[in-house]
Amino acid sequence: MADFADDRAVFHFDPMNKGLERAGPQPVKILSNNNQLPVSTHCPYCALQCGVLIDGEEGRSRVRGDGKFPVNKGALCMKGWTAAELLNHEERLLKPLKRNARGVLVPTEWNDALDVIARAFQSAQERGGRDAVGILGGGSLTNEKAYLLGKFARVALQTANIDYNGRFCMSSAAAAAIKAFGIDRGMPFPISDIPQAEVILLVGANPAETMPPLMQYFEEQRANGGQLIVIDPRLSATAQTAHLHLRLIPGTDAVLANGLLHLLIRDDWIDRSYIDARTEGFNAVKSVATTYWPERVERITGIPEASLVRVAETLGRARSAMILTARGPEQQQQGVNNTLSFINLALALGLVGRPFSGFGSITGQGNGQGGRELGQKADQLPGYRRIDDPEARQYIASVWGVGEEELPRAGKSAYRIMEALGAEIKALFSIGFNFTVSSPDATNVIKNLSNLDFFCAADFFLSETAKLADVVLPAAMWAEEEGTMTNLEGRVLRRRRTSLPPAEVRTDLEIICELAARLGKRKHFGFAGAEQVFDELRKATKGGIADYSGITYGRLNAGETLHWPCPGESHPGTPRLFTEFFATPNGRARFHAVRHQPASEEPDSEFPLYLTTGRVLAHYQSGTQTRRVEKLKGIIPQPCAELHPEVAKRYGLSDGAAVRLVTRRGAAVFKVKVTRGIREDTIFVPFHWGGRQSANRLTSPALDPTSQMPEFKICAVRVESFTTSSEISPEEENDIR
Amino acid sequence: MAVRQKLVVIGNGMAGARLVEDVLGHGGQDLFDIVMFGDEPYGNYNRILLSGVLSGAHDPKDIFINPLAWYEENNVRLHAGVRVTAIDRENKVVFGSNNVTESYDKLVIATGSSPFIPSLEGLRHDNGDGLKEGVFVFRTLDDCEAITNYVQSGTRAAVIGGGLLGLEAARGLLDLGAKVDVVHLTSTLMEVQLDAMSGRTLKRVVEGMGIKVHLNKCTAAILGNGQVTGLKFTDGSELDCEMVVISAGIRPNVQLAEDAGLMVDRGIVVDDGMNCLDDPDIFAVGECAQHDGKVYGLVAPLWEQTGVLADRLTGRKPQALYKGSKVSTKLKVMGVELAVMGEKEARDEHDEETVYTEPARGIYKKLISRNGRLVGAILLGDVAPAPTLLQAFSRGSILPENRAELLFALSGEPTAPSLESLPDEAQVCNCNGISKGAIIDAVKGGCRSLKALCDTTRAGTGCGSCKSQVDQLLALAAGDSIVEDPSIHYYVPSIPLAKPELIKVIKERELRSVSAVMAELSGGQEDPGSKAGLASLLKTIWGKEYEDERDARFINDRVHANIQKDRTFSVIPRIYGGITSPAELRRIADVAEKYNVRMVKITGGQRIDLLGISREDLPNVWRDLGMPSGHAYTKAFRTCKTCVGSEFCRFGVGDSVALGIKIEKRFQGIESPHKMKLATTGCPRNCSEATTKDLGAVAIEGGKWEVYIGGAAGSKVRKGDVLVTVESHDEVLKFMGRFMQYYRENAKYLERTYDFVERLGIESLRRLLVEDGEGICARLDAEIQAAVDAYVDPWQEAVMPVHPAQFVNTLPTGEVERVLYQIEKMKPVYGD
Repeated sequence: MADFADDRAVFHFDPMNKGLERAGPQPVKILSNNNQLPVSTHCPYCALQCGVLIDGEEGRSRVRGDGKFPVNKGALCMKGWTAAELLNHEERLLKPLKRNARGVLVPTEWNDALDVIARAFQSAQERGGRDAVGILGGGSLTNEKAYLLGKFARVALQTANIDYNGRFCMSSAAAAAIKAFGIDRGMPFPISDIPQAEVILLVGANPAETMPPLMQYFEEQRANGGQLIVIDPRLSATAQTAHLHLRLIPGTDAVLANGLLHLLIRDDWIDRSYIDARTEGFNAVKSVATTYWPERVERITGIPEASLVRVAETLGRARSAMILTARGPEQQQQGVNNTLSFINLALALGLVGRPFSGFGSITGQGNGQGGRELGQKADQLPGYRRIDDPEARQYIASVWGVGEEELPRAGKSAYRIMEALGAEIKALFSIGFNFTVSSPDATNVIKNLSNLDFFCAADFFLSETAKLADVVLPAAMWAEEEGTMTNLEGRVLRRRRTSLPPAEVRTDLEIICELAARLGKRKHFGFAGAEQVFDELRKATKGGIADYSGITYGRLNAGETLHWPCPGESHPGTPRLFTEFFATPNGRARFHAVRHQPASEEPDSEFPLYLTTGRVLAHYQSGTQTRRVEKLKGIIPQPCAELHPEVAKRYGLSDGAAVRLVTRRGAAVFKVKVTRGIREDTIFVPFHWGGRQSANRLTSPALDPTSQMPEFKICAVRVESFTTSSEISPEEENDIR
Repeated sequence: MAVRQKLVVIGNGMAGARLVEDVLGHGGQDLFDIVMFGDEPYGNYNRILLSGVLSGAHDPKDIFINPLAWYEENNVRLHAGVRVTAIDRENKVVFGSNNVTESYDKLVIATGSSPFIPSLEGLRHDNGDGLKEGVFVFRTLDDCEAITNYVQSGTRAAVIGGGLLGLEAARGLLDLGAKVDVVHLTSTLMEVQLDAMSGRTLKRVVEGMGIKVHLNKCTAAILGNGQVTGLKFTDGSELDCEMVVISAGIRPNVQLAEDAGLMVDRGIVVDDGMNCLDDPDIFAVGECAQHDGKVYGLVAPLWEQTGVLADRLTGRKPQALYKGSKVSTKLKVMGVELAVMGEKEARDEHDEETVYTEPARGIYKKLISRNGRLVGAILLGDVAPAPTLLQAFSRGSILPENRAELLFALSGEPTAPSLESLPDEAQVCNCNGISKGAIIDAVKGGCRSLKALCDTTRAGTGCGSCKSQVDQLLALAAGDSIVEDPSIHYYVPSIPLAKPELIKVIKERELRSVSAVMAELSGGQEDPGSKAGLASLLKTIWGKEYEDERDARFINDRVHANIQKDRTFSVIPRIYGGITSPAELRRIADVAEKYNVRMVKITGGQRIDLLGISREDLPNVWRDLGMPSGHAYTKAFRTCKTCVGSEFCRFGVGDSVALGIKIEKRFQGIESPHKMKLATTGCPRNCSEATTKDLGAVAIEGGKWEVYIGGAAGSKVRKGDVLVTVESHDEVLKFMGRFMQYYRENAKYLERTYDFVERLGIESLRRLLVEDGEGICARLDAEIQAAVDAYVDPWQEAVMPVHPAQFVNTLPTGEVERVLYQIEKMKPVYGD
């Protein structure tokens, strides 16, 4: 078994063996940092990774914003303020669970659980080959876990089929950035650049709800006289703060970008000397832009020509400007192309690499950035190395002490794994990924899951997905383990342990190491704590695109600000990329001609409206955590479908009524919220809930051909009146029948 | 896999080239060898933009969709400039001019259309070849170029045809400086798209721009021998003009198809698969094709057709069908916009017409709905609702009952509701989920300042973006009893005192160190953000008696040099008034060589900057220089820039050099809330830019000096204000010192003089510092004198370091980054 001696010693302080029985709140013991309280660490939620200070008394942790941490400067949103409530939540999983002969999950011992898992994996591989075991990782796992899970797949199981939740988050932006710039770092500049940008074009992003502390930078930008332009089908909380809101028709992002480029070329706002000196491929893009004249763009996007002209002129005149995309344009079948079309715009304006300017994508999940560059993706090895690159394979094999030929090839992407459950994939291991709530066409995924031979989930609560597992492992939470995270600007951060996990709860790192040992790979997984994993990770990323080799726990603990790439221990890190060259073979950024394609599903007579999905302020991801926080639950207890008054009138629905929405894949029930903030042809629903209120029962699994991103943002929907009086219970169960 | 087939496309315009793009987009290169014929010797350009080229909005080279290189890159063989003369359907061969022949498996006819040219007397050259000089059509890039070359400012141009294209041509001509007449056959401009009422409105608008419109005019002849001189109409009237653009409609190019025996009506008749009726291997798309009785002349329908045909040819969707298009168009004549879609008149009494008209502003709007769905619309003068209407029209969705909502774009760009109208339960602070009601309750419960309100409710403590709303709610709920948030006046954030009170307390309690102040006044909380500001203030108050604590300083102040981005330092020795000597220069040069200084630079303040010195070398550099510190790293008196002045300059009226040296010797090292840059200039020509310095002295006639304060020429530019005009150097020194001391005592930390002077106003400063309105001048003079007396050259620490590690480079990287970050961002963190 892996040696976690330092952690183990304190694990036995209070053996609680109550398993599924509600154990009641557990006291939390606050660990001090050399007897100093508060301890500084980071919020468990989004990619901003706000600095927080933890102290507390009487067995409860208390969270405050860390005013000294330059990213959030003390600010936190309601999710952050309440994050510690979950550490001693009465629903915490406190013991491994195993499904018994009657199909009921009952508590068991760790040794038994781990034995069962190892045997199940082995037998699945004996029958179905190595790739018959699939692995799914979460988007909030620390860098160490993401790295180790990748290694576990490739070395301990030798399966090709590992992918992670970031596939549903950043994959389109990542693929586009690699195509255009040769490197994918969500924001290639620090967020402190934002206030100095004269103009910001925010495309399909709603940070006012998804990462509120980021808004202070936009506030400051506004105070400096800057302009904020928001592109979104909804008048989101962010759009309400904008100088101009473009309420485009869902799925027409690339048309809008091309239309803006058309105007910029026509009115000669583009930076021809930048284009000549630093890019390639502009002519093809220019030709495509020719076909996006304003009248046509207005017709397709629904954006008035006058607004297009205003945006083009505002961008054209600005001395500094930023174009930032998020999930809106990215979570589409055309996600990569949509992103590229906005990158084209940024390149044509000469923004990328210029001070207080550029293109960035706002990463959503806690460690979406670190997760995707450390080998947790089907097609990648640590350091953002391609798994089909012979040199990369050779290098990683040598770091791992295995033969290059033993490393699997590229495997299936996240949704493809879910499609193959019960078919090519016979056993599944999932860490911190509530995919029956967060994957598209969730009903189908749940059905496939029931066809598996074996499914193991590691999580801290019995999530909708964990409920369906054969073995559930109780995992430590954010504040209970050491590690590092990489935030949306590529800044590597120290996640410090501030309290101990409950007695029989183990960290994901321990779980991985112990499983690897049972699979006969003990010698490859002998780590005595997170720092040792990180040190190997540094070695593995050395020389790669995302080079962490110069980052050490020592430097991070000393408070250094380190953005990757950081290739040496005396290297100061790289806050700004592209100032002189791009990470392409010839150092030039690449334009990509994008001719837009319609969404995979457009409204028709049967399903006459667009459905789009997104987030709300009080909740994070599949809601496994936030739906268990009393305060957050109190603010937004259940998902509301946003309907335009005209649509509501047409179907005789009023505010607060219940509505059943139906797509080609399934139906779900929501509370009606009538608002002029949504287009007349579109309905918005948040996706943080499971069961009958699961937005993803409705969404389409059409995938972007390059990034494999599902089209979460667009499908065609029909409104079926449900009832106008009865309340919907917020506690709907998974119901697959 | 099917055998590769040969696909021949006749026509390289908007339809033909688009079809090939679509085919390639669906993997067509694996299925077909593609050959194209194009009349024009170019690749394919966007014909829609020709009017933009004519008006000069578009550069002709920017309108190419497929330049010639594109065909090569995509393995498409293009016969550019070759016209197809015949199709041999039996042998499946097409013949082109220049004896080109190409066999085909699949043939697509996309020959488009040609301008319709009525048979007019005098239309052509006398020899019968080509149009008369000055007569043009408007269809191709070449036409565009020919028109542009012909038009000169003031040219009288007549456009025959007041349809869509004719009006666009008229707009282009007008933009080129021509005097334009539009001659139209019927009583309504654009009668295909417009009803009589909107036609009249459009006419008024077009005429308002200076275009003359002649309706019900049928042209009979073009006058002029060899060159156009005018038009003659069938009613006998005439119109003088020097050029004519004929835009009388288009005719599908169907001759080729007709000759080949294909069924032709107005266009080449095709079925829902864009297939010619009598030949399964021949297709037609674009303006030459007739589908379901309709021939389309707009791009959107053409591209819908090519999309369907490409789907069928490539097998992507073999059953794809074209079901006709819903037509809409927009026209922009200068500032006036027009959008039309679908039908222009009600069909019968069951159709509903909604009309709004406002002739004075040239606005006309009309909707035609059938069974609650939009079947037609005309928008003139205000096309803001167009996007919404277009969606409703093209999707056939049910219209809202309140039609006005559609006409007035109520749903176009919704705005956030006002705070007042928000319901009480509406959330104001998103980060913490605080409702409007909760905030108002807190105000009613006694929170009468923004700070108290935020502290109590937690609203505004997240991202802070709702603070202005919280403030508005406070005003709304508290009425007149609002208390201004006092913290905006605090000198440093952690101590709730404004500067004068803070100074008073510090003096009373004799607090001589930063830590002492913190311990006494900020409840023991060590706030790093307040240290540097306090250190500066204490130095000002206590001078020599100040108990220096190094951790209260930024790195620059700890090692008395300016940190650079590579973590080396810059050293600027004091050179009084910018006047140096050969010996001093030699010494500086020696030092620069000895320590491998990476750059020697003359600064904007007339000093010499040695850049790239490591921390360890700093004391040695100072020792070897043997010059005092130039203080170019800190919040203090920096330098006094001088011009040559009366000693050498022919224009000089005052000795600016001597004054500059005196100023610098007196005020060197005087610390202040922010840096102070000074200058003296020997005459009002202001060569040393004294009027845009923090303090400046300008010599004027009669041996007098003007003392300027509050000038700036950095990120902000401000001309200083004259504080006082005096007669002597000593008086300049007196008033400058007095102002400096007042600034030191009263400015907020990091407040430059230009903001300070603006904040207080020059009049009140004159009253205080010149007229001694409050009797403080004597004290200010004494205080500044004490500060001058307390001056010690910090570079003496070279001999006696404050602590052993002072110049050891132990600065971790992160510290440097942090420090640089702070320096970069150095500006007031509160109440600017």
